[in-house]
Amino acid sequence: MAANDKDNKTTKKDDAPAKEAPKKNAILEEDEDMDAGDLILANERVSIPLNMQNAKFTRSQGNLVSLTLKKDDGEEEFFERVVVLRAFPITNPSEFLSVREPDSKKMGRGKEIGMIRYMSDFDEATQKLLLEELDRRYFSPQILKIHSVKEKFGYSYWDSETTAGHVTFILNNPFSNIRLFEDGRIFINDIDGNSFEIADPKKLDAASYRKIELYL
Amino acid sequence: MKLMFDLPEVDRAAYEAAVGKDEKLLYCLPFDIYEDQFVDGYVAFTDKKMYKLLDGKLLATFNIEGASDFKTEVMYGNCGFYAKIEGSTTLICQFISGRNLPRYAVIVKACEILAETGSKEPVTNDTPERFCPKCGRPYIAHTTICPFCIDKLEVYKKLWGMTRGLRLMMMVPFLVNLVGVVLNFILPYIQRIAVDNYLYPQNPRVFDAADKRVFFLIVVAIVSFDLFSRAMGVLSGRCSAIAGNKFVLILKTLLYEKLSSLSLSSLQRRSTGDLMGRVNNDTNVMKDFVVGQLPNLFNQLTSFLIALIVMLVIDWRFCVFVFVPVPIVVLILVKFWAFVQERNVRAWVLGTRTAHLLQDILNGIRVVKCFGQEEYEINRYKESSVRSSRQNESNAKIFDTIFPLMGFIIRLGNYLILFYGYNAVFGGEMGLGTIHQVSTYANMIYGPLMWITFIPRNISQFLTSASKVFEILEETPEVADINLPIDIRIEGDISIRNVTFGYQSYNPVLENINVEIKAGEMIGIVGHSGCGKSTLINLLMRLYDVNEGEILIDDVNIKDISQNALRTQMGIVLQETFLFSGTIRENIRYSKPHATDEEVIAAARIANAHDFIMNLPEGYNTLVGEKGYSLSGGERQRIAIARAVIHNPRILILDEATAALDTETEKLIQDSINKLVHGRTTFAIAHRLSTLRNADKLLVLDKGKVAEFGTHNELLEQKGIYYKLVMAQRKMAHEVVKMDESSTPAAKTAG
Repeated sequence: MAANDKDNKTTKKDDAPAKEAPKKNAILEEDEDMDAGDLILANERVSIPLNMQNAKFTRSQGNLVSLTLKKDDGEEEFFERVVVLRAFPITNPSEFLSVREPDSKKMGRGKEIGMIRYMSDFDEATQKLLLEELDRRYFSPQILKIHSVKEKFGYSYWDSETTAGHVTFILNNPFSNIRLFEDGRIFINDIDGNSFEIADPKKLDAASYRKIELYL
Repeated sequence: MKLMFDLPEVDRAAYEAAVGKDEKLLYCLPFDIYEDQFVDGYVAFTDKKMYKLLDGKLLATFNIEGASDFKTEVMYGNCGFYAKIEGSTTLICQFISGRNLPRYAVIVKACEILAETGSKEPVTNDTPERFCPKCGRPYIAHTTICPFCIDKLEVYKKLWGMTRGLRLMMMVPFLVNLVGVVLNFILPYIQRIAVDNYLYPQNPRVFDAADKRVFFLIVVAIVSFDLFSRAMGVLSGRCSAIAGNKFVLILKTLLYEKLSSLSLSSLQRRSTGDLMGRVNNDTNVMKDFVVGQLPNLFNQLTSFLIALIVMLVIDWRFCVFVFVPVPIVVLILVKFWAFVQERNVRAWVLGTRTAHLLQDILNGIRVVKCFGQEEYEINRYKESSVRSSRQNESNAKIFDTIFPLMGFIIRLGNYLILFYGYNAVFGGEMGLGTIHQVSTYANMIYGPLMWITFIPRNISQFLTSASKVFEILEETPEVADINLPIDIRIEGDISIRNVTFGYQSYNPVLENINVEIKAGEMIGIVGHSGCGKSTLINLLMRLYDVNEGEILIDDVNIKDISQNALRTQMGIVLQETFLFSGTIRENIRYSKPHATDEEVIAAARIANAHDFIMNLPEGYNTLVGEKGYSLSGGERQRIAIARAVIHNPRILILDEATAALDTETEKLIQDSINKLVHGRTTFAIAHRLSTLRNADKLLVLDKGKVAEFGTHNELLEQKGIYYKLVMAQRKMAHEVVKMDESSTPAAKTAG
């Protein structure tokens, strides 16, 4: 249904020069160039709270999430793909979900369509669908066991077992890349942009805990 | 950057089973995540399709033809490669950002080209890799060196090559050390004779005059040995200082020469700090290793060997006592240092955190006070400093206990010797002197053990530094002179023929540029920002080589002209003028170091700079630059113009030379420019079209192509881009005037 989307824009674009018409002819084309900017502003949408009544999430053909939005005036808007983001991915992952248009080269940064206050506002099937998308997007394997930590040539190499399999990740400064949260969880960010989590360090086996203890 | 990975056997089989006959494999990239697991999968890109392969299975096939909206999305802890396939957005694969994001960014572009044109030529990208292709570990920052995979022997060989001319001098410390070691071993032997025969003889007897003479000789020998070995120490120290400094000098000069011969593009890839580090720090690390640690290491090894032999000769049991504990002691020492290091790092981290917190609070003290959060901040700071001080306290306690203990452990071998030795003395098998001798040897061996445990770290540090230095030394300049470059006297005819250029091959900034310019013409280059104006200038100056086509100066390809001849006959004035620290005179003479004072003044006059320079108290000797007199933008610009014209260049380039100046100053500079363009081929880039009113011809660039080329009047008649630009600027100027008019009376009434 992207076509629908495009139609919207073309109609707007047609409007624009009409408005400009009274201006000088010589610089008319110049101003049309600027319209691209005006268009994005005109396209500014207002984020609305999403719930079972106004938002219907479905699995898209590409196995991602589509959204049919019912507007106040009864009109329906269809999004072939929406991106679901967490406002508080670490402290409050199942509330305050932002549903957005994906970024695109033509339209720039995607706009927020609306926000889900509680994931539990939706039925189980929808929750499952959203969670699937969220899990794909927020990839932070749990560390189950740390085999070894070696400091060499300025990097520290961590050989460990995670929920996503056996992995060796590399930190450039363990003291600043291992974060301890107030609730006791540990987050580790490696040089590749991976993120790892230890929900309860005390539950690690003694040998593993000793290896990470130094950095806490 | 590598865009074609080798498929593993099983995946290759799966790929070959699926691929069509007339498809050509263009790219093959790894993906790292599939269904919440880390995997080693691959996506093979042919000119028609994408094949997603994992462990010998074909997971999916996607058509490139008809697909659109290729893009990467950076997500949390991973990235996704998406495309719109048959109308619906699809996640093609997930990967780890640090490893593969730059690769997929290139692929996005490549797929767009492929989907649009179906071109079977793969795009390339020469961004350097960040990871070692052999072991997958990251390179040392800013280099392409993998510390795990470097050929260590190769580094030593190159180092050996570097020491030519210094070898003799460098050998001295080694030889002196060798002599010193031998002396060290003879001294205890003489002492032993003194003790055993005279001080505490096994068979007490009355000494006669001859005995006393021998004893006296022994004393003299001991003293002169000591003096001699000290003299040797002085000699060795001096030689290593001289050799070391020469070595650093040679290295730094070589490095600097190399750096300045490298092309702009390879220099811009690296940060200034990194390059400075290589010239300053890494060369010093190399020196310390070559003249400091290496002779020392040699010293220890020979000591070890000689001690082993001597002790075997005296009594093999001593050997056992001395050498058996060595590995244990070394092991304990290594563990001990690791432990100390760990605790020190911890204390350091806590200390810096506290300092950082304090800095944060003080910087934001207004905010803290405004929101009444003093108490919260005090508690935060207290908590942090208490932690830090606790750590320091416990470190101090533990270290104070452990250091003496370590001293004891290191002397363990000594105690064993004493125990065994005195038993032998009591049994009458051995003289007291022998024990003294052996225990001296034992001290000589155990003493440096502390030091020896640092050797692996020192060696790895040296290897890293050395390979960083060699990496620069061995780089081949991208823009190089041909074998026999021509030194021509440039007249100034320039033809640009079919030139295409892009900083990345898939992304041409300039496309198919064709321009003929006669000597002495002034060409104004006009266009929106990002249309390739500055790039064209870079090509003319040959800071980069064109990808396709050619640039001819007086019918000679600029690739055939020596870079020296080319640059000395070009003058450039940039928007941001850079003046070196030094006097105005030095800055003006920069492009012609032997210019006379007369020439300096003449150049300054052309640049309309003479008058303001004369008004400075120190005239042409005024210091400028970072620490000097601060000049205004217009003054700096005029000095830069003087610098550009002093060597009377045949080709002059003005890259937005007046953009950052107010209209008044611009007029002054414009005036000087008018004087100096006379008789030279000039290229001027300008946003303000009024700057270009004297241009013979105007070159309008649009999206990397020549949109219009001709005289001012011709272009106005064409009513194209140039016409619109002129109109837009006139209108703006008009509005500014109107605004001024309307604001003045208002100001008056307000006043």
